[in-house]
Amino acid sequence: MESMLTLLWPEIALFITTCVVMILGQSKFKDTRDLCPGLAAIGLIVSGFLAWYFRGVTSDAVLPHLPYYGKLVICGVGLMLLMLVAGSADRELEADAAKGKPFEPIRSTRGEFYSFVLFSLTGLMLCTSANDLILLFLALELTSLPTYVMVSISTNRNRSMEAGVKYFFLGALGAAIFLYGFAMIYGGTGTTNFEDISRTVAAQAAGGGINPLVILGVVLSLVGLGFKIASVPMHFYTPDVYQGSSSSVAGFLAFVPKAAGFFAILSICGLVGWSHGVTEQSLPEGPRVLLWVVAALTMTLGNVLAIMQRSVKRILAYSSIAHSGYMLVGVIAGPGPSGADFERNGIAAVLFYLVSYGVMTIGAFAVLACLEKKRSDGSLDEVDDIDDLRGLARTRPVLGWTMVLSSMGLLGLPPLLGFLGKLPLFTAGIGAKEIILVLVLGINSAIAAYYYLRLAYTCFIESPETTPNAPKVVEAPFAARRWAGVISMLCVVGLAVFGSWLGNLAEIGATYRPPKYVQPAAAVVPVSAPTP
Amino acid sequence: MNHMLMPVLAQGPAPELMSGVTLYHYLAVSGAMFVIGLIGFMTRRNLIIMFLCTELMFQAAGIALIAFGRFHLNHSGETFVIFVLTVAAAEAALALGLVILLFRRKETLDGTRWTELRG
Repeated sequence: MESMLTLLWPEIALFITTCVVMILGQSKFKDTRDLCPGLAAIGLIVSGFLAWYFRGVTSDAVLPHLPYYGKLVICGVGLMLLMLVAGSADRELEADAAKGKPFEPIRSTRGEFYSFVLFSLTGLMLCTSANDLILLFLALELTSLPTYVMVSISTNRNRSMEAGVKYFFLGALGAAIFLYGFAMIYGGTGTTNFEDISRTVAAQAAGGGINPLVILGVVLSLVGLGFKIASVPMHFYTPDVYQGSSSSVAGFLAFVPKAAGFFAILSICGLVGWSHGVTEQSLPEGPRVLLWVVAALTMTLGNVLAIMQRSVKRILAYSSIAHSGYMLVGVIAGPGPSGADFERNGIAAVLFYLVSYGVMTIGAFAVLACLEKKRSDGSLDEVDDIDDLRGLARTRPVLGWTMVLSSMGLLGLPPLLGFLGKLPLFTAGIGAKEIILVLVLGINSAIAAYYYLRLAYTCFIESPETTPNAPKVVEAPFAARRWAGVISMLCVVGLAVFGSWLGNLAEIGATYRPPKYVQPAAAVVPVSAPTP
Repeated sequence: MNHMLMPVLAQGPAPELMSGVTLYHYLAVSGAMFVIGLIGFMTRRNLIIMFLCTELMFQAAGIALIAFGRFHLNHSGETFVIFVLTVAAAEAALALGLVILLFRRKETLDGTRWTELRG
C-alpha cells in the first residue's frame, strides 16, 4: 500500500496543479490568467522529476517498470503537447478583453482547457501505474472524458461540436465494450488485481486450459480499447474528429488516447501472458488471431485511405490509424525469450515507437496549428488543404522543414527517428515468427511512402500559391506552437543520433515479469449453509 | 465475527421465489442487455436514444459484475460497480451537455442531420 502511494506521487502532483490551474483560469486579472500554461508546465516538470526520483518503486503488475518509463515520457511529450495547445482557448474572448470589454468568467474556457489537458495526462499516467482492473478502467475514463470536451470547445464552429459528439458517442461505446471485457476477466478469475489474475490464469493454463470467460474478456477488452488506439473496427471516427477539432487538439488526440490504449493493451495482454501457443512465446490463440487480423487490416486500411485524401488533417488521421497497426505487431510479438535484447523485445519496441510517433506527429500538427488562412473578407480559417502548404519550405523555412522532417520521420526514412522506431518492430515480429505480418508491415511502409512523400514534396519542391483570389496563408500569433514544431524537428533528428538512452529506458520499461505458477493452496472449503 | 458470517449469508439458501436462479441466468440477462444496447446503438439515430443504449451496455456489465461477485464470494465486483456508476453519471452529464449544445445550433436530435465532416 505504501509503495502504491509512492508510485502515485507524480499523479498527485499533477492533480494538485490541475485544481490550481482550473481556479486561476477564472481570474479577473489578465496577468493571473496568463499564468495557467506556465503553471501547467511547472506541474508537468515536477511530476516528471517525481517519476524519476521514485524510479526504484515498481508496480506489482506484470510490467513492473512500466510506470517509471511511462510517466517520464508522458511528462516529456506532455510538455510538447502543452506548447502545442497553448493559446487555443479563449482567443476571441481575450481579444475582446484587450479592447476594453470586461472579462466574463462564465464564457471563459481557459481554466477548463488547461486543466483538462492536465487531467487527461493524469489519467494517462494512472494507466501506467494501474495494478487493478478497477483502477485501469477509471484511468482510461479519466484520460478520455476531458478529451471529448476539449474537442467540442476547441473552435467555435459547428464542425467541432459534431466532432465532439461523434467522438463522445463512440468513446462511450468503446468504454462499454472494454468494461464488459473487464467484467468477464473478473468472472473468469474471481479477482480484479492484476497480479492475482495473472497467477490464476497461469494456474489455469497449467491445469487444463484457460477459462473461456477470460479469453472472451481479453478479446472484448482489446476490441473496446481499439477505440482508444483507433484500430479497425473502431477507427472510422478518427478522420472526422481530427478534421473537426482544431489542429493543436488533434495533435493531442493523436498521442494521448493512443498511448493510454497501448499501455492498457499491454497490461491486459500481460494478464494472460506471452507464454502460450506452439512456441510458448505467444499470446493464447484467440487474442493472438484477433490482434493479427486487426493489425493487418488497420495498417492496410489506414494507408490506402490516406492516399485518397486532400485534407492534411485527414491524412494525418489515417496515418495515425496506420501507425496503431504497426505498433500492434510489437504487441503480438511480446517480450520474446527471457533476457531478450531491444531488437527481440516487442514491448520495448512498442514503448519506443509510441514516443517517436508522438514526437513526429506533434511536429506535423504544430505546422498546421501555426498557419491560418485569411479569406478576402478578413475571416480566419484553419489551414487544412494540402495546397495551402505549397512551397512552405521556401516561404517559411522553419515550418516547412518541420513538416518535411516530420513526414519523412513518419515514413521511416533511414537516418531519422521513425526508422529507428520501426526497425525493432520488424525484428521483434521476425523473432516471434510472424513472417506474414512483417511482410504486410513492409508493404504498408511502402504504400505510406506515397502520401508522406507527397506532403514533403508539396512543402519542399512545389512553388507557392500565386493566384490573386486565393486565401492568404498567414502565421498564427502563437510562438509556443512554433517552438513545439522546432523541438519536434530537433527530436526527429537528435533522438535518431543520440536516442540510445531512450531505447535503454524503453527496455527497462518493458521488463516483463511472467506470472509464476504456484501450487494452488488448498481450496477454501465453502462454509455449508446451516440447515434449518 | 462478520468474517465468519459473510460466506454463510452469501451461500445461504436463496428465497423460495428465486430458488432456481443461477449465475447463468444473470449472465443471460446481462448478455441480452449488452447485445440489445449494441444493436440499438448501431440502428438508432436519435442522439439521446444512442446514449441510452451505451448506458444499457454499461449496466449490463454491472449486472455481470455483481453476479460474478456473488459467485466468487468476494466484493470486488460490487466495488467495481460503484465506480462504474460514478463514471456513468459523469458520462451522462457530459452527454447531456453536448446534446444540448448541438440542439441549440440545429434544433434537432437526429444524428444524420450533422454531416459536415465527410471525406
